[in-house]
Amino acid sequence: MKRQLIAAVGVAAMVVGLAACGSDAKKDDGASSGGAKDYNGKTLNAWFMDGSAPQAWQDGVKAEFEKQFPGAKLNIQIQKWDGIGQKVTTALSEGSVDVLEIGNTQTAGYAATGGLADLTGAKADLGGSDWAPNLNESAVLDGKQYAAPWYFTNRVVIYNKELWTKAGIAAPPKTLDEFYADLEKLKGTPGVNNALYLPGQEWYTYFGLVTDAGGKIAKQDGGKWVGNLSSPEAKAAFATYQKLQSYSNAPKDKDEATPQQSTLFPKGDIGAMIGLGWEAPAPKDMPADKVGFFPLPGKTADKPSSVFLGGSNLAVAEASKNQDLAKGFLKIALSDKFEGQLAASGLIPNKTSLNSQVTGDFAKAALPASANGAVTPNVASWANVENNPNPIKDFLAAALQGGDYDSLAKKYDDEIGKRLAQKQ
Amino acid sequence: MRRSLIGRTWPNVIAVVLALFFLFPVYWMVSTAFKPDRDIISRTPVFLPLDGTLDHFDRAVHADQFWTMVGNSFTVTVCAVLASLAIATLASFAIARMKFRGRKAFVLIVMAAQMAPWEVMTISIYMITRDSGMLNSLVPLTIFYMMMVLPFTIWTLRGFIAAVPKELEESAMVDGCTRTQAFVRVVFPLLAPGLMSTSLFGFITAWNEYPLVLILNKQTGEGTAQTLPLWLTSFQSTFGNDWGATMAASTLFAVPVLIVFLFLQRKAVGGMTAGAVKG
Amino acid sequence: MAVHSERVQTRSPKEAKTAGAATEPAAATADGTPKNARPAGGASLLSRSTPYLLILPATLATAALLGWPLVKTGLISFQNLNRRQLIQHLTEWNGFDNYTAQLSSSEFWHTAGRSVAFTLLNVFLIMAGGTLVGLLLNRLGKGMRLFLSFGLIMAWAMPIVASTTVYTWLFDQQYGVVNWFLDKLGWHGMADYNWFGSQLSTFFVIVLLIVWGSIPFVAFNMYAGLTTIPAELYEAARMDGAGAFKIFTAVVFPSLRPFFLATTFLEVIWVFKCFTQVYAMNFGGPQRLTETLPVYAFVEGFGNQHYGTGAAIAVLTIVMLGALMAYYFRIILKQEDEL
Repeated sequence: MKRQLIAAVGVAAMVVGLAACGSDAKKDDGASSGGAKDYNGKTLNAWFMDGSAPQAWQDGVKAEFEKQFPGAKLNIQIQKWDGIGQKVTTALSEGSVDVLEIGNTQTAGYAATGGLADLTGAKADLGGSDWAPNLNESAVLDGKQYAAPWYFTNRVVIYNKELWTKAGIAAPPKTLDEFYADLEKLKGTPGVNNALYLPGQEWYTYFGLVTDAGGKIAKQDGGKWVGNLSSPEAKAAFATYQKLQSYSNAPKDKDEATPQQSTLFPKGDIGAMIGLGWEAPAPKDMPADKVGFFPLPGKTADKPSSVFLGGSNLAVAEASKNQDLAKGFLKIALSDKFEGQLAASGLIPNKTSLNSQVTGDFAKAALPASANGAVTPNVASWANVENNPNPIKDFLAAALQGGDYDSLAKKYDDEIGKRLAQKQ
Repeated sequence: MRRSLIGRTWPNVIAVVLALFFLFPVYWMVSTAFKPDRDIISRTPVFLPLDGTLDHFDRAVHADQFWTMVGNSFTVTVCAVLASLAIATLASFAIARMKFRGRKAFVLIVMAAQMAPWEVMTISIYMITRDSGMLNSLVPLTIFYMMMVLPFTIWTLRGFIAAVPKELEESAMVDGCTRTQAFVRVVFPLLAPGLMSTSLFGFITAWNEYPLVLILNKQTGEGTAQTLPLWLTSFQSTFGNDWGATMAASTLFAVPVLIVFLFLQRKAVGGMTAGAVKG
Repeated sequence: MAVHSERVQTRSPKEAKTAGAATEPAAATADGTPKNARPAGGASLLSRSTPYLLILPATLATAALLGWPLVKTGLISFQNLNRRQLIQHLTEWNGFDNYTAQLSSSEFWHTAGRSVAFTLLNVFLIMAGGTLVGLLLNRLGKGMRLFLSFGLIMAWAMPIVASTTVYTWLFDQQYGVVNWFLDKLGWHGMADYNWFGSQLSTFFVIVLLIVWGSIPFVAFNMYAGLTTIPAELYEAARMDGAGAFKIFTAVVFPSLRPFFLATTFLEVIWVFKCFTQVYAMNFGGPQRLTETLPVYAFVEGFGNQHYGTGAAIAVLTIVMLGALMAYYFRIILKQEDEL
């Protein structure tokens, strides 16, 4: 249902766009007949990550872009998260990408490489004065704007209503203890293979739990960043994580993308999983009324657990030969119209003024938790930590498989510290 | 010389066990590919896919860009092998039939090149390819695959050429052929089996190559320059527990090689002793 | 090969002998030149350069496509080349920094030690297994030999990426046939065993895969070698009352000594630089504990995007390989004068 809605919104937007262009187009043609020639044969390469931009949004932006810049083509490529670091590095060095989506935890790292164009001058034009300051933080390094915040999102529990009814559960849990009890019930329900599908290396959930326990995965110690897995908060969070993971048959040494948990859920034997909006089954795979969402509960009923605030920024490659086109594209993509469309698909937009447009069951579950969201340290070297093999993932797999927490935490704190200290 | 019944039986028993050990993974791949899901996701393995299904093949073949990658793999492999045959025929004729200064050095270089550590040269090849703006293209792949199989091709062809009696060539020249004509008309036809078995191993090497394409051709989607080994590994990680489709994919990838190998193996094994290769 | 030359010989005319010595110049290259018009005073410049012209394409290709990347690896290993330098096309020389960092890191030495142990174990199993299978092939009747050969050829021909995928399926935790089999044998603890959860069990699967795929090569060569040993040698040994083991050490091994030496070194080199099986099986995991040197170079270089460091590890690996190869070539050169 959600996707249909998005599609409908997209189509509507396009119709409006087309209708509006009747008058606009003439003006454009008259005013910039010379400019139009300039764009002829130019192609703007834009990279978006798998699962980010709904198809209708892409189509709408593309139409709008090619209308505003007659003759220019927008070539949208969808990239997989797996091994993206190396791919982005290559593309930035070659100039084979003009505009790209970069994860919020990675932006500072790429800004420091000199591969991203400085957008400070264009900020106001892109609507930057209205960007929510906390969302913009990750796009800024040393006072310069290296990207534009695009959207934020966080993980919620996605559950199979049919199985929950079958297990005799009436309402979604409000506290962790209730959640455990529900999972216990699901475990004993025939037809349930995984009460909760939670692969052992799903470090985003662990990150949220650490935050919830009042801790941090890395901390600043005498001016330098070090790993903080050894802290009591991280250890307490791990206990929760381990307890949740014990309701899962998912591999302890894999993450949520191998295999894609979104392809497993529609098979109908998973009670619940922790995922993003795009990972929820499409209506063709599972009827929308069978799928429910709730935020991962906290220790008490008054607030849900903290979460990892995922998000993406849009950046322009320094090596791009189409800087103007790229900025023009950003202006379209970040316009209230298209940000609103993203909001309608359940993502949190970059301006608080658009928050009212956030709709959908997923977003209703996601928004309350986002208030307790946290991000990774905004330092250039954080990207090193997320490089494969990611030490946090390795740590989780080892600890879940019976390794001694304290010695593992020490070992991987060292590794995290080493990576955070690496020079560029 | 008389052996007891047991003495005559045990080698056969061991041979059967060994043959099963070597065959089983291949059999398991093919049979899993044909089994319906309920027989795959089953606590008791089903050994014979009696109610076979083609569903998995259907899924594998319809995976993203499958046919593009099939085309890429064939193009790269065939071009690399043909190019290396052409270059190698010239060089191997020289070292098999001619004496010249530096011959021994050349032979040593060929032998050393055969063991070149391609696996750890990916970084420099990546830099070279990027600097020439050739990433995500079939051209560098073809060129480097050609080089990977070239030393072996020279080395084996040398053996085949040496096996053709010199007298034959010389008599052709007595009959008025030039040396080139003698080579083309007399030696070359006799080399056909050698060329075939040599190209077989070149084919396998290029078909199998994984680290280089993994680094050079990252681009997926429309117009990708990736080859089948990448398709298979990414298929496996995305569809991690869809073993039916993954095994169907493996089967599709392996079958061309298995067939070619069986078909040519008699000649191939003879050629093997001349040089060293690994599938 | 023997077959072709046989057919050839029956047709080979007598007068061929008269055509001249081995140094016979390639004079007739100029087209249509009759044979008696050969220049008497030695080879022309063209004919003397013929062999060089013939090896020229191969030499150029090797220099450009193998030589240059090798040199380039060396150059990169002396650079500080990370994401920033790569993106901005910067060249920052940093002398031996990458090397000192590696040579003083315990991670490098652990990995190197692991690589050596991994290689020795694999090669030992491959050589022992291959020799025994080769001896068996020699002893079998025709039908059974064909059957076993078929199995060997299948294992040999399997593309590595495919066989790696198949092995992960065979050893799958939940539905893998190996766990089922071990459970049936009475080892119930193995019913849900995660083979890729620990270093040793992951290595077990990788070693099995490599040995499985490498034995056929050794076995076929061994068998080919065995068929060349004259039957009289066995007879003589048996007359002296030698047992099977004695026959092997007294007759087979000495005759096939060159084969053993050459094959062992080839296997050492292949296994030492083997990448696909180790990487595609579990990406060097769990917790980077199954990384061998080539995988380590790859992960440091591309995974962590420290290209200079990766290149330095690559150079160190190449140096070790080079030492092995030099030893191998010494043996080869001693054996084969006719190279």
